[in-house]
Amino acid sequence: MTGITKLFGTVEALRDVDLTVQSGHIHAIVGENGAGKTTLMKVLYGAHQASDGQINLNGEPVSFRDSKEAIAAGIGMVSQHYSIIPELTCLQNLVLGAEPGPVISYAAAESRANELAKQMGFQFNWHEEASEISPSQGQKLEILKLLWRNAKILILDEPTAMLAPDDADLLYAKLHELTEQGATVLVVTHRLPEVMEHCDEVTVLRGGKLIDSCPVAQTNPAELAEKMVGQAVTEHSPIPCNPGETLLTVRNLVVKGDKGNDAVKEASFELKSGELVGIAGVDGNGQRELFYALMGTRNSSGEIHLGIQNLTNTSTAERIQSGIRLIAEDRHNEAVIEDWSIADNAILGLQRTNRVLAGRSINRNTQAELAKNVTEIFPTKFDNVNQKFRDLSGGNQQKVVAARSLQESPQVVLAFQPTRGIDLYVAGLVYDGLIKATREGATVLVVSFDLDELMTYCDRILVMNHGEIAEVPAELRQDRSAIGRMMVGAE
Amino acid sequence: MKAFHMSWKQILLALAGFGVVIGALIVAGAVPAEALQTVVQKALTTPAGWRDILRETTPLLLLGCSVFLALKAGLFNIGADGQFVVGAMASVAIALHNFGPLTIPLAIVVGTLAGGLWALPVGLIKAYRGGHEVITTIMLNNIAFFLSVFLVKGVLKDPESQSPTTAYIAEAAKLPNLVQNGPFRLNIALLFAIAVALALWWYLKRTVGGYELNATGANSKAAKFAGIQIEKVIVRSMTTSGAIAGLAGALQVLAYENRFYSGFSPGYGFDALGVALLAGGSPLALLGSGLLFGIIGKSTTVLSLTGVPKGLSFILLGILVIVFASFRYRKEPSHD
Amino acid sequence: MIDLTYLVAAISFGSLLTSTLTFSAPLILGALGGLCSERSGVINIGLEGKMLAAACATGYIAQASQDPVLGLTAGILVATLLAMLHWTLTQTYRIDHIISGMGINALCAGGTSLISKTFPELGSKQMAAFSIYVYWLCAWTAVIAIWWILKSTRGGLRLYAVGNDPDKSRQMGIKPGKVRLQALLGTGLLTGLAGALIVTNAGSFSDGMTSGRGYIALAALILGGWRPWPTLIAAVLFGLFDSLQLQLQGQPLFGQVIPGEFWQALPYLVTLVALAGIAGKSRAPAGLGKP
Repeated sequence: MTGITKLFGTVEALRDVDLTVQSGHIHAIVGENGAGKTTLMKVLYGAHQASDGQINLNGEPVSFRDSKEAIAAGIGMVSQHYSIIPELTCLQNLVLGAEPGPVISYAAAESRANELAKQMGFQFNWHEEASEISPSQGQKLEILKLLWRNAKILILDEPTAMLAPDDADLLYAKLHELTEQGATVLVVTHRLPEVMEHCDEVTVLRGGKLIDSCPVAQTNPAELAEKMVGQAVTEHSPIPCNPGETLLTVRNLVVKGDKGNDAVKEASFELKSGELVGIAGVDGNGQRELFYALMGTRNSSGEIHLGIQNLTNTSTAERIQSGIRLIAEDRHNEAVIEDWSIADNAILGLQRTNRVLAGRSINRNTQAELAKNVTEIFPTKFDNVNQKFRDLSGGNQQKVVAARSLQESPQVVLAFQPTRGIDLYVAGLVYDGLIKATREGATVLVVSFDLDELMTYCDRILVMNHGEIAEVPAELRQDRSAIGRMMVGAE
Repeated sequence: MKAFHMSWKQILLALAGFGVVIGALIVAGAVPAEALQTVVQKALTTPAGWRDILRETTPLLLLGCSVFLALKAGLFNIGADGQFVVGAMASVAIALHNFGPLTIPLAIVVGTLAGGLWALPVGLIKAYRGGHEVITTIMLNNIAFFLSVFLVKGVLKDPESQSPTTAYIAEAAKLPNLVQNGPFRLNIALLFAIAVALALWWYLKRTVGGYELNATGANSKAAKFAGIQIEKVIVRSMTTSGAIAGLAGALQVLAYENRFYSGFSPGYGFDALGVALLAGGSPLALLGSGLLFGIIGKSTTVLSLTGVPKGLSFILLGILVIVFASFRYRKEPSHD
Repeated sequence: MIDLTYLVAAISFGSLLTSTLTFSAPLILGALGGLCSERSGVINIGLEGKMLAAACATGYIAQASQDPVLGLTAGILVATLLAMLHWTLTQTYRIDHIISGMGINALCAGGTSLISKTFPELGSKQMAAFSIYVYWLCAWTAVIAIWWILKSTRGGLRLYAVGNDPDKSRQMGIKPGKVRLQALLGTGLLTGLAGALIVTNAGSFSDGMTSGRGYIALAALILGGWRPWPTLIAAVLFGLFDSLQLQLQGQPLFGQVIPGEFWQALPYLVTLVALAGIAGKSRAPAGLGKP
């Protein structure tokens, strides 16, 4: 790929990027969120059209008008947004888009599917509905889909995000086998240890531009990190933590998952005033359900106390009134109303708190104050508070959402991946804001799938595995592999 | 309010819609320019014309409010027609009896409650069973229709009459005209309708209940995390929507028709969808769009006297709804 | 036991069967037309309008030309054009599916009413038409065909996929717009047949003659959980209600005279109760109404 430029409207997502990938290699594309990694891959996969530039495949110039043409040329991509349709069976998902003919013989398809699975060391019940399978099974199914399509160039966007460390190692081992048979693998990732351990070459993007491309052997994690961020990463200097009295007490909490299983099993823990506590774990181990139960949007059994107040059977509104705040996982769908103004979003969730509510009406003065606060706590780029929320950039949106959770004296802030989709600089700001709130007497519970992030910022770390919560002993808090083993129940 | 984004596609659609209306007029044997002249002369410039326009506007404005409220909560109330019919029926059942000075208030309250009750299952099924309100309201519209036929052929039938209709209500049960000047009439019912529109505006723009209703309609998931009990909001707004439609039915009986008969609603509920959609984001705009549909109703009646069938009004409704929806009420493709 | 004798006395089972088949055939066709559309994710409350317009076109063309082929073709063509209009409005203009469906219903109700009132003399002529049995055959064949297409063809799989998640389908190299276009062609064909059948049964077109059967078809589709065989069963059940009403006509059933309006409202009541009780959102195509 040479001179690739991609414009979205007037925004330049990629500028004059060159990328050369050796066949038979595992090539890592690294960069911060918004660096253009995924966009570059989508251009290669035909999902986006380059505004300028040229793609050569085995020396021949090619251009893909859509993904179908890229697939036909042997390029396949597993995107970060899961492309499995839950209502279809695993087998139907496998063949979808690459059916053997107008009439499908599912028996023949199944035997080929089994061959492919065997080759990768996977196992599937092909007639199971895809809604029943675990995220890691889903990831495996996605990779089989590429093989089903005879892809010779495999693009994997954050393939290990859903996998436990051991599973990730296994995946890379299988990818190496594939490359030995002549396949080429491109991996988009932000996990540098993975790059160092498993990849052959690495390309760094930053702000839509190519920064460097070199064999992995010639570089080191510190150098890569610096290139990704553009400056030496400043070390987070921890502020000493002096936990106060217990704020949130959770006893024997059981929460049902979407499929009726026990997603959270008899969880008990305490959060003290003044501390930032992280929950480590592989995605899908009950973190989501735990947060739903704490927010009161899902029924649970067990007990939840805030100080001396019993919150067990209270509504979400009452919990917000008592000072529980949420930074929701899915900003677009759970945290804000994108078609509304910043000002209207500033009071979303706080609309019935004492200062906002005046009789039955909304106090417009308070609303204006809050709108000002949520854009000032973290420096936010915006025109005016009546601007549509949708028109803010992702990072600025997250700043507003995080800032809102710190309004009206929060007691407990529940933050689900508070740094999702934002760059390291903003992530640092958000964590600093959360830590500041704890030092002023609140407590913060963070779920993140990025262990390094938790190890950097948290005062304590809990681990969630199959719905069970355990605390990481103080002496192991900086031991990455020990926590990793706890995450999968190996310790 | 966001400015309209005009594109050639939308202009094309608007032109095509205009073409269909002109074509329909020509098919019906009318000369479009003459038709317009007829409308201006007979409907728009005479006291009798305005009497009928304001009369048409009353139920259209109220039903527009009903559909609008539900729409803001994310619900398509296709069932305003059925709620209107049920409200009218309940109201006439009361107004046919003499409760002294209480007759009118009682008839209004009962009609309103009946409309609300008719919409209650819609809200409950939507909130707690996930059944789509469009389907349930279509079902309830048809059930309301057959129920009304059954009743006006049976218990509610005027024994003196050959056709399926109730008797006329007593003079004392009728809502008075505010202005009566030659052929011109302005009934107090229209003021009720305007008051409802203003109240709706105040509720949606000023109160926390309105804020929460808007949030539920805009993004129910985010609303839930914001401590809003979306199930309750859905049931409440659907029931209120039905109650407003029921009120429209009651007023139609007490102010204008003075009886109930088989085929009471000429499809007002569907016009109401047009009224609500054309109002766009603001409840105050309902006043304008309600009047517009009132004018359309009267105009097509005038034209039907010159031989252009009433079907034209439905054609106009369809075109207006489609063209207007191409500017608003679009489903934006989701992005990353 | 006595009640049962009443029942038997009131009903001739042979004619009950025939009339059930007659009444259910347009419902089957209409509901399957809706199935094509909704399985692809396009909400279609415009079945009534399409059936009405097709009935109008078939009726008048068959009378004017005295050619049954031309009549049926006209009906199918009109319904297909309307289905294409719905496709354009929902896919190109991205109008909300329900608004588009309502708009089309209004257009059809108004348009056919205008035509029938403007040309009343058209309705008087004898209409050339296919035998009813042709339509029965079409209806029952359509069930088998759609069942097979959904179960074991590429088109069926893609229809299912697009209806559940257009975005993910797009990632798999499928063009949701194209799949939906094909699905709506099916809707046009089937609702066209349904409308033609209704006018054939009646002998000539009259204003508003589908009288809500498009909505009953929609009810059958929902009661059948968007699956072909259960939808067929629901449509036949609704046809049975209709013919029972016709057969009983004031005669007592179980010692009670049941008013005709009750039978007419029954399909809607059954669907409403089903929605309140057993049916949840789980069975509807997940991508209904998504762009």
